Amino acid sequence: MSILTLENINFSYGKTKVLKDISYEFENGKMYCIVGKSGAGKTTLLSLLSGLAKPHSGKILYKGEDIKNTDKYKYRSKYIGVIFQSFNLITKYTALENVMLSMDIAGVKGINKKKKAMELLLSVGLDEDEANRRVLKLSGGQMQRVAIARALSYDPEIILADEPTGNLDTETQNEIMEIFNSLAEQGKCVILVSHSPDVAKMCDECYELKRNSKK
Amino acid sequence: MYILKNSFKSIGRSKGRNVLIGIIVLAISVSACIGLSIRQAAQNAKESALEGMSITATISYDRQSAMKDFQPSMGEGGKRPEMPEGGFDRSEFSKMMGNDNSLSLEEYEKYAEADSVGAFYYTTTLSLNGSDNFLPVSDETEDETEEDSVESEENSQDFGFEMGGFGGKMPGPMGNMMFGSMSDFSVVGYSTHAAMSNFSAEGNSTITEGVMFTDETEDFECVISEELAIYNDINVGDTVIFTNPNNEEESYEFTVTGIYTSTEGNTTDFSAMMGATSLDPANSIYTSSNALAVIIANSEENSSTMTDEDTGREYETALTSTLSATYVFKDVESYEKFEDEARELGLSEEYTISSSDVAAYENSITPLTTLSKIAGYFLLVILGIGAIVLVVLNIFNVRERKYEIGVLTAMGMKKGKVATQFLCEIFAVTLSAVLIGAIIGGVCAVPVTNALLDSQLAQTKANEEQVQENFGGMPNMGNMPGMPGGMGGMGGMGGMSKPDNIDIPEGFMGEAQNYITEIDSAMNLTVVIQMLGIAVLLTLSAGAVSMLFVMRYDPLKILANRD
Ligand SMILES: Nc1ncnc2c1ncn2[C@@H]1O[C@H](COP(=O)(O)OP(=O)(O)OP(=O)(O)O)[C@@H](O)[C@H]1O
Ligand SMILES: [Mg+2]
Repeated sequence: MSILTLENINFSYGKTKVLKDISYEFENGKMYCIVGKSGAGKTTLLSLLSGLAKPHSGKILYKGEDIKNTDKYKYRSKYIGVIFQSFNLITKYTALENVMLSMDIAGVKGINKKKKAMELLLSVGLDEDEANRRVLKLSGGQMQRVAIARALSYDPEIILADEPTGNLDTETQNEIMEIFNSLAEQGKCVILVSHSPDVAKMCDECYELKRNSKK
Repeated sequence: MYILKNSFKSIGRSKGRNVLIGIIVLAISVSACIGLSIRQAAQNAKESALEGMSITATISYDRQSAMKDFQPSMGEGGKRPEMPEGGFDRSEFSKMMGNDNSLSLEEYEKYAEADSVGAFYYTTTLSLNGSDNFLPVSDETEDETEEDSVESEENSQDFGFEMGGFGGKMPGPMGNMMFGSMSDFSVVGYSTHAAMSNFSAEGNSTITEGVMFTDETEDFECVISEELAIYNDINVGDTVIFTNPNNEEESYEFTVTGIYTSTEGNTTDFSAMMGATSLDPANSIYTSSNALAVIIANSEENSSTMTDEDTGREYETALTSTLSATYVFKDVESYEKFEDEARELGLSEEYTISSSDVAAYENSITPLTTLSKIAGYFLLVILGIGAIVLVVLNIFNVRERKYEIGVLTAMGMKKGKVATQFLCEIFAVTLSAVLIGAIIGGVCAVPVTNALLDSQLAQTKANEEQVQENFGGMPNMGNMPGMPGGMGGMGGMGGMSKPDNIDIPEGFMGEAQNYITEIDSAMNLTVVIQMLGIAVLLTLSAGAVSMLFVMRYDPLKILANRD
């Protein structure tokens, strides 16, 4: 059974139509890649999937239920992990604090959050010094990895990643993709946005967004 | 609770801004604390001064309210009713202004039945002339030397309160003056010795020879002043003869049982100023009111109608007495209750109840209450400005942290929780600043209040001197105890003629500066609670704005618009 379903989604910014009549199904245990030209509406689609924006028509179903009717805070804080294209980290917090904050918001209990957060940061390739540094003082690639660690910290069922490897060298990209792959194998649903053909090749399914013709 | 943890972390992260807010709140709270302390000090002073102070009060006819009633009737219906002598009903008017309005002894006694009344006494005053071998002390022959006037200036400082004492010592003389009869002596009859507080331990008069007249006696016994005794060469046991100023034939023989001295100020100045010999305290003769009652009855019996040679007016020769009654209350509450009780017993609204003790006391705390009022306004302004500044600062704060709010909500943190976190931050900063401010304010309150009080006192005194200049050597006139409302309110006259300033604590009456000049403690639980209230108020006003902004923000827009 699909965990996320798109049913005839339409979305526009003012008069600019971005998404037109999109239907798709995402399933657990698979890794998806959304491709398309710049400005095709990939980030917009992820915003809809993460509940930050509402489709103008059509439905997004989470486990068969319209996300309109679910607790959007719970949905955002527990069920999905989002890696934003622009990271959206709190820059005055340290990397570790950013990760821990997400665990707090998700209501993670019963584990040593600091230890788990540090393990995650190490697993995405940061060292301890970098983990304890304010995000402001990290490089773009390091920030991206912090964002990845944050999205994984509360163990969500769905991972939404907007160009998660865009700022990374091939070696690190492969390490990160390895992590996503293992998550998919654990039964999670991983949805990536990428321009990279290498990334697309590693995914189970690809969905191409066409830039909307000006009808 | 991660929200709390988060807010504390946040405070630490933006030290600069929080220190700024803290300093502003600190300034507000120090000023607020001092303001509140001043108000509290005024309240404390009021309570402690009135505590355990027994109050005396008098009932007097309120001429002003009577005047109001009188005037509209003059112009009723657009045209004046028929009025003799130039459209003004003199007889009506003089009836209104005259003695007809004084309460009778029976009425006074009726109101004394009220539960609140602790004790009741009265004095009867007669204006009597002497006889050939019994003359009043008079300074008419004395020259006003330069020395004298210098001296009087020196003494003028004392007047304010001497006047109070004077009022008590010489009940009724003002009444006599008003009717123009310039008699030699004021003969004051006391209903009981208890009323003669001038002769009590705290009083300023003592019997130096002989004894006091017998309490409540109907016999013609009296005590006279030392000056009078020397002036007329009278010894204890001698008799003196008084005559009715309206009828020389009518005379009364009194036995002098005692001679008293009074430590009261320069009496000569006084009589010179007032221009009547009977007003000179030295010409006050004390006796029992029962004895005077006998005289009055006798005088009425033998009354005849005479015609004034100059004006052609007719008058009765019978002696008219001035009655003055004093009610004593065990405390202020009883005094305050008395009004209602007396009204219930039938006291008409035209009469007012006043207490010179309360008036004197209120006068004494004038600088403090003025300061307290100023402090009140100051407090409002400070809190108003403070709230505005805090609100503005918080708007900036929230706008600056817009992105953070966007991230937090995008991560699934409820807006309510974000707002709560912001509120916690504001509250923690404000509360600690208020606490520190309260401590600083508490330490400063007493010296600051006293310094302010000093300048307020100087101001009050400067005003007084102005009044003194304007009214030529009558300092403190407006503030005279026993004359609430100053000279303007003639209704205050009743207060003049009470037996004495009974039970006013020393220090109130002892010196000219009867003002409370210092406070010693101001902070108490009330102030602390009020400060907490202010902290909550400031936080809420600032926090409400933060809340509003947080609730309004849409995370997607914030994150999309970031630069
Ligand atoms: N807030 C907005 N208001 C108006 N138009 C917007 C807004 N955000 C995006 N758009 C427009 O919507 C279209 C889709 O944008 P989107 O960010 O989804 O593209 P994208 O596929 O993620 O592109 P890229 O690969 O460059 O990240 C673009 O043409 C963009 O200009
Ligand atoms: Mg994009």
